[in-house]
Amino acid sequence: MSTVLFTLLLGLPIAGTVLCALLRGRKPLEVVTVVGSGLTLCSGVWMMWKVITEGVVSSPQGWWYADGLSAYIILIVSGSAFVVALYSTGYLRRQIRNKKVDDQQLWLYYLLINVFLFTMMLVLLSNNLGFLWIGTEATTLATAFLVAFYERESSIEAAWKYVILCSVGITLALFGIILTYFSALHVVHVSGNALLWSSLIQVAKELDPGVLKLAFIFVLVGFGTKAGLAPMHTWKPDAYSEAPAPISALMAAGLVNMALYALMRFSILVNRAVGEGFTSTLFMIFGLASMAVATPFILAQRDFKRLLAYSSVEHAGIIVFALGIGSPLALFGALLHLLNNAIAKILLFLTVGNVQMAYDSKIMRKVTGAIKVVPVSATFLMIGVFALSGWPPFGMFISELTIISAGFSSGAVVQVIAFIAILATIFGGFIYYTSKMVLGEPSAAAKGGDAGKWSLVLIGLLLLALLVLGVSIPPPLKMCIECAVNVFKG
Amino acid sequence: MGIANLQSIGLVIDILAAAILVTAFLIVSSRNLVFYIRLFAIQSLLLGVVALLVVVGYGEMHILIAAILTIVIKAVAIPLVLTKIIERIQVQKEIDFSINITVSLLLCGGMVILADSVAQSILSVQRPDIPAVSRVLSVSIAMMLIGLFVMMTRKKALTQIIGLLTMENGVFLSGLSITYGMPLIVEVGIFFDILVAVLILGVFIFRINKTFDSISIDLLRSLRH
Amino acid sequence: MTEIAPFIAVSLLQLVMIVILAPLVTGIVKKTKARFQRRRGASVLQPYYDLAKLFKKEVVIPPVSSWLFRFTPYLAFSSTLVIALLVPTVVAPVPLHWMGDIITVIYLFALVRFFVALVGLDTGSAFGGLGSSREMSIASIVEPAMMLAIFSAAGTAGSTNLSVIVQKLSTTPEAMLNPAHLLAFSGLFIVTLAETGRVPVDNPATHLELTMIHEAMILEYSGRYLAFIEWASQMKLAIFLALLSNIFFPVGIATVLTPWAVGIGVLAFLFKIGVLSLVVAAVESTNAKLRLFRVPELLMVAFILSLLALILYFIIGS
Repeated sequence: MSTVLFTLLLGLPIAGTVLCALLRGRKPLEVVTVVGSGLTLCSGVWMMWKVITEGVVSSPQGWWYADGLSAYIILIVSGSAFVVALYSTGYLRRQIRNKKVDDQQLWLYYLLINVFLFTMMLVLLSNNLGFLWIGTEATTLATAFLVAFYERESSIEAAWKYVILCSVGITLALFGIILTYFSALHVVHVSGNALLWSSLIQVAKELDPGVLKLAFIFVLVGFGTKAGLAPMHTWKPDAYSEAPAPISALMAAGLVNMALYALMRFSILVNRAVGEGFTSTLFMIFGLASMAVATPFILAQRDFKRLLAYSSVEHAGIIVFALGIGSPLALFGALLHLLNNAIAKILLFLTVGNVQMAYDSKIMRKVTGAIKVVPVSATFLMIGVFALSGWPPFGMFISELTIISAGFSSGAVVQVIAFIAILATIFGGFIYYTSKMVLGEPSAAAKGGDAGKWSLVLIGLLLLALLVLGVSIPPPLKMCIECAVNVFKG
Repeated sequence: MGIANLQSIGLVIDILAAAILVTAFLIVSSRNLVFYIRLFAIQSLLLGVVALLVVVGYGEMHILIAAILTIVIKAVAIPLVLTKIIERIQVQKEIDFSINITVSLLLCGGMVILADSVAQSILSVQRPDIPAVSRVLSVSIAMMLIGLFVMMTRKKALTQIIGLLTMENGVFLSGLSITYGMPLIVEVGIFFDILVAVLILGVFIFRINKTFDSISIDLLRSLRH
Repeated sequence: MTEIAPFIAVSLLQLVMIVILAPLVTGIVKKTKARFQRRRGASVLQPYYDLAKLFKKEVVIPPVSSWLFRFTPYLAFSSTLVIALLVPTVVAPVPLHWMGDIITVIYLFALVRFFVALVGLDTGSAFGGLGSSREMSIASIVEPAMMLAIFSAAGTAGSTNLSVIVQKLSTTPEAMLNPAHLLAFSGLFIVTLAETGRVPVDNPATHLELTMIHEAMILEYSGRYLAFIEWASQMKLAIFLALLSNIFFPVGIATVLTPWAVGIGVLAFLFKIGVLSLVVAAVESTNAKLRLFRVPELLMVAFILSLLALILYFIIGS
């Protein structure tokens, strides 16, 4: 039974890729991608249900593994992929109509999106740390051409920076993985098993603490680069602003969470071996640093997608900060925030994509009076920004509040005060710029034409979800997150 | 394998590791792009030979494929690809630096010392089954640092690829030195990733050249803050 | 007292090996370079004839020069002579080994360099000053490199005394393949090219402003002064080649004073020096001289190689 699940979760995206490679024509590609990601999402739900009812799911040879944590993240990632796939159909149709994209590019888009989903699933399901690495580097490679999709000068520059920086980071992470393997070799007697997380976690107390700490530092830098933590975040603004809006959305919701998952996995292992103080300190430092570094850039931004990228840096910092606090409440908040952030980012990226297409410009100065040009999207934008900044009654408020109270109750008062201060500053900057974009007279660059009805409905549903999460957390979700938190505490 | 044989293999591996480090330094000391690529090819070849010696001397068969892959992909295929790129886009073969050669060499010398102290702290875990090759760990960490340095201070896009690949070589060597290499599937996966990465970066270089008519990183500055 | 005879004999042998053979070494290098250039070249004994000729020629002294000008050639020659007595060539330990170690050798070379550089200024010509400043800037990197290179070998032997180093190393042949040694050899080789003014650092055959360093400093010398200075440079080359061969490959060196051992030692030394001079000539012929501001880069490579040798020595052990 578990083999079926793993085959589905991995095989569906592979099948999607193969089919997309063989097919041509807009409709078949759309169908394959949407159906494929939808089925993957269903498999993800099934996996979550299985994990909740039966505990850890692992494959016979031990290569694949799913517990509460990975199942939860798989849900988020596959859900994001499905939503993005749905939206992409409308988006690409409009782009073809506007003559921005040709059929060859359309085919490449759908092909790469399937590959992207596969590589993310590879990372999330693997028990073997080596596969985790291979999958993460593969996600960089899969998204490289997606970032450079529009083949502008700036796109290639952004894609180059993205591939180089992430590859450098991930190479350092490989060294960390080698060190972990090294520390385990003399304890785990079958050498092939020394890379398996499930074996490592059992012998964690016998692993050499010094080597493991050093390994964690390398892993933190490496996967932190992928997640966009400061100071390794410099590729994010360029990559997010140059990629097509749905791809940026999927990167912000999928990739970031996948990278954070990798960090969580390693931190669980290291915490088991050397106690929690080490990772906690590092997480808090990187978390606060990311938030602090993101702030001035958010306040001084001219391009909305870059703004969102820095916001992504900020929120990755928030989640990592919460991981640093480490109490069950904080972990709950972190995982909830993962979900909220994903929904909010997808919502905002897709909305901005609509606005961009109507104005044919990314620079905010040129975009004014959106409320008159694309009323629905503009409204969504305004509300979405409120949600992202942490206003009640939206979900982010709840998760940030959870983290703050967890921080106070576990005594990290100074850090939490810094946390609050930074959040407040960013909040102000966002509101200011968005209102400039939305209100006022439409600028000359306005071309008009909002997205199709169904795309707008999709975005509206996302907004609704955020609202629901802000009011109360549905019990099934609560169960999922608690299941994930339990993995941390073992 | 007799003890004397092991010792002589260990000695040869030490010499090869020193030679690999020298190639890294020669990369830092050079101005010529073609020379960079040749040095990288030699470096990968030496690395492959070290891996083969580990197979022969310590009987770790699973590294055999990785060794062959190193030689075929990194010492032959990738330099060929890179040389083809240079021929196609006809770049100016001189490299600009942000830190001049003399200072660079001194900094890299310092990095070797740093690498050695890191390696010592890792190896201070006294265990009977640490491979005798572990002396080479310092060289591998030094290579990672030098590769990183080359990427940060040389201004041509191609040199960033070579810096990245040097870092990769360093990581592979570190894997050999303290763990006799990771399981075969993982190593193969890693190679595949690297190859695809180089191909993708190569395509990007073509496109960069088309739009900018040069491949100096200085020009990739249009995206600020 | 019974020790005096072998003592004197070995010291004389040392002197012959270096002092008398030095022009021959230079001759071999020049001939090989000529062959590379597809010329027949002058005979390998030509430097001897040149020296003999110079001794007979009239000395011309610039009026602005001081006593330095007349003093330095003798100083150069005698200092190099002392170094020749300290460096093991055929026999180790040399009779006068207690007189000094590698640091003494380096300082003696530095002494010669110092005075010759002063002479470059003393002559009052622009070329002289030019050569002196170039020489000094090269020396600032070359000397540490040389020290580091030999120190890594000294580490193995546990002493900086050249004779002790050579002795210890000749009894443990495996130590020769130590990667630290090989690196130090490469570093010292580049240092040799720099110290003796060979391509790619300096071109000993030209007198053009762009390409002179050593030649610039001694441009005003003539007659027997020039002969002594030239001879001292040739001895310097021979000494460096002796250092290269005997510190890093002390095969065949005599450690006991039997005629048989000494005979083998002489043959081994001649062979090694011969091979090394061919290598130097080959390197000179296959490289272009570096532009002057690129020279520090090459020297820094030598420095780094020596530094690496020292580091590797500590990492890998002896």
